[in-house]
Amino acid sequence: MLIIQDLHVFHGPIEAVHGISLEVPQGKCISLLGPNGAGKTSTISAITGIARSTGEVRFEGRDLSRESVEARIAAGIAVSPEGRRIFSNLTVLENLTLGAALQKNAKEKARDRDHWFSLFPILAERRDQPAGTLSGGEQQMLAIARALMARPRILLLDEPSLGLAPKIVRQIFDLIASLKEQGMTILLVEQNATQALRLADYAYLMSSGRIVAHGTADELGKSDRLMAELTGVA
Amino acid sequence: MIRLSSSQRSGLVGAALLAVVLVAIGVLVTYFGSRYQIRLVYSAYVNLIVVLGLQVFMGNARITNLSHSAFMGVGAYAAALCVTPEKIKKISLPEAPWGLAEFSLDPVVAALIAIVVTALLALVLGLFIVRLTSTGATIVTLAVLVIVHAIFLYRTDIFKGNQAFFGIPQVFDLTSVIVIAILTVIACRMFRESRWGIQLRASADDEVGAAAMGVQIYRLRLIAWVLGAVILAVAGICYAYFLGTISARPFYFNHVFLTLAMLILGGMRTVTGAVLGTFLISFGLEGVRYLETGPVFLGIDLPEALGLSGIALGAVIVLTMALRPTGIMGNREIEDLFARQKS
Amino acid sequence: MEYIIQQVLNALSFGAEYALLALGLAIVFSIMGLVNFAHGEIIAVGGYTMVAFASLSIGNPFIVMGGAVLAAMLASLTLERVAFRPVRKADPTTGLLTAFGVSIVLQNLFLLFVSPRPIAVTSLYFLDWPIEIAGIRLASLQVFEALTTIIVIVALMLFLRRTVLGLAVRAASLDFEMVRLTGIRANRVFAMAFLISGLLAGLACIFIMARRGSVDPHLGFEPVLKAFVACVVGGFGSLPGAVLGGFLLGAVEVAMLVMLPQSLGGMTDAFVFMIVAMILIWRPDGILSPAVEKGDKL
Repeated sequence: MLIIQDLHVFHGPIEAVHGISLEVPQGKCISLLGPNGAGKTSTISAITGIARSTGEVRFEGRDLSRESVEARIAAGIAVSPEGRRIFSNLTVLENLTLGAALQKNAKEKARDRDHWFSLFPILAERRDQPAGTLSGGEQQMLAIARALMARPRILLLDEPSLGLAPKIVRQIFDLIASLKEQGMTILLVEQNATQALRLADYAYLMSSGRIVAHGTADELGKSDRLMAELTGVA
Repeated sequence: MIRLSSSQRSGLVGAALLAVVLVAIGVLVTYFGSRYQIRLVYSAYVNLIVVLGLQVFMGNARITNLSHSAFMGVGAYAAALCVTPEKIKKISLPEAPWGLAEFSLDPVVAALIAIVVTALLALVLGLFIVRLTSTGATIVTLAVLVIVHAIFLYRTDIFKGNQAFFGIPQVFDLTSVIVIAILTVIACRMFRESRWGIQLRASADDEVGAAAMGVQIYRLRLIAWVLGAVILAVAGICYAYFLGTISARPFYFNHVFLTLAMLILGGMRTVTGAVLGTFLISFGLEGVRYLETGPVFLGIDLPEALGLSGIALGAVIVLTMALRPTGIMGNREIEDLFARQKS
Repeated sequence: MEYIIQQVLNALSFGAEYALLALGLAIVFSIMGLVNFAHGEIIAVGGYTMVAFASLSIGNPFIVMGGAVLAAMLASLTLERVAFRPVRKADPTTGLLTAFGVSIVLQNLFLLFVSPRPIAVTSLYFLDWPIEIAGIRLASLQVFEALTTIIVIVALMLFLRRTVLGLAVRAASLDFEMVRLTGIRANRVFAMAFLISGLLAGLACIFIMARRGSVDPHLGFEPVLKAFVACVVGGFGSLPGAVLGGFLLGAVEVAMLVMLPQSLGGMTDAFVFMIVAMILIWRPDGILSPAVEKGDKL
């Protein structure tokens, strides 16, 4: 579904990712693991078109690498970015409305909204509060719900567990698991490898802008390489 | 003997190269130019000193300053008040308070007093300005410009407002301003390459990082700000000592934008950029002004076109910002151009 | 007592005009950090449009007013396209200088193609007649202006809260990139902000022209300086701040006029700017500055 080939990502003059290739098949959850600064978020930024990159980003057979950010989102890519980046000056409801900005059908929008509200009662409770007043975990749920409001064909999740309490982290991963069950295609970027591998069908391990290992969750989970990269212990 | 760092040495080389250019233009116009052209080149040199004064702060601290023409005015008026003979002041400023019309000083002393007055004013204002964020600081400099101008206009008993303040001894000629311009170029280059200048530029690129390295940003900004004001005062003095009359109007928005455009076009980050921009715009505008008068060109009688020079000036700013925000020179000084050709 | 009410009403009507002007600056600043000094020239475009209608001997005031507002909106949109799009991602200084450049170019275009001298526009005089209620003298223009400002504020609030594009404009002031990541086209958001800014300039133009009765190339300079001050005082980029700043400025100006001795009349601007400088030193980001938040990376 999403195929990336020989992707180089640049931040100004600095090359952050040096030619990686990966694939996210339809209906699967693929995990991109690696330590801080490995180039995971850069990869996500290149897929959405925010960061300058060379190489191919092919989505459902269509080459998106020359398309604008907006066109890529319109093609069916949605992202819950690192740091959540909810619109803290807008209410919870307004955040969700913006998430569905490209949806035309008002009835569907209302139904989606109610669906997410029923899944996250806390968001429903605070629908008219500024999103900035939510806790970190609630903000993360809002960020994911906002991305899903676009009815995406693929969901990019960038570090959804970052900075959250273990209990909340479990909730977030439960949510991702249920999304996967419903058939959502997911690219999950994580530092929390144990949790991510439990969910992922297949995983790639990044380090210093390169993919250094990949395999099924079982294969990768057993490899010493993973532990070495993530803990820094050789 | 003071030991110079390598960047300071190359700064001196660069300043020397610029000095050669400045002298060459002066010699050319002295021997071949008309009286009008000499006047024109003189004002270009005065503007050069203004632009250099602007560059010291804007180029190193990267904060847009809009008050520079006001400081130039303060310097010019302070010197004029000190140096003009009592007899003339009694006529032109009959109601001057605090005995301002009761004395007159020698031009050098008057100039020194003017510099000190401007520097003190800059120091007091600077204590506040350097602490603000970039847009905030720019707005306060704008406020300074408006306030100083309002005072010039309001205290007609001291400054004569938009009327001419006349009778200033015309002690300067082209040679004096060229010498001063060259000294200013050297001062600006030495500041830029000094430890202070380097730290200030580093802090403009990365404020948090530089602060973490122990750079005292506010203090450095203040030093650059006051040094800039001193240079601007010198420019004001040069202006007054050559023309013999001054008024409030030339120290307001039009002049602010003219000199700002010069610095932007040349490139605010370097002293070479300041020099290049000043001469390009000074001479370029003269060409445009010629078109403005509606000359006969290649047999075609062109219509009078007032406003053409303003359009050109604005367009220079807009185009530079759109195409090359760091100006023509970018981060390169004059000696860098030669160094690259050699290798 | 009547004197106090009179002055309060004066302050409110001054404030209404400044709020209108300041909103025009603030909406553009809020999404792209651009201090649009060319806003004043947009007002002048409206003024010259009225001149054009007069020379075509079209006197219908609604056509004249509508035309001026439309011209201002178009001019604002054009500037975004031609001048400000290239510096969209640049730092605030670059944007500020670009705006100065644009402002100089436009002023001189008026000078070159129209006239450096003021041109009388009489078609809007009918808007201004004296009203006296319970011993308080008012100009009808003041009432119209205050009403317009109120309607504008309400309409703007509805737009910003009830439409997707309005939400996007608000969200963009915080995190433009994230707005793009919801699929909303950046160009549309910018165009909308400039369109609104132009609309506000056009409305302000009507009142300025009705009061002054003439247009010259520097028509917009003074108003934009005031708008600028109002924005600074209120907190740049905050729309409620712009409104608050506008009314505060109106109050300060009227207070100056009332309290300063006649002999210091020429110093009003200086005092106003002094207050601005002091507010900035007290609160560098203005009174109602919006919270600045940035993602950890990117």
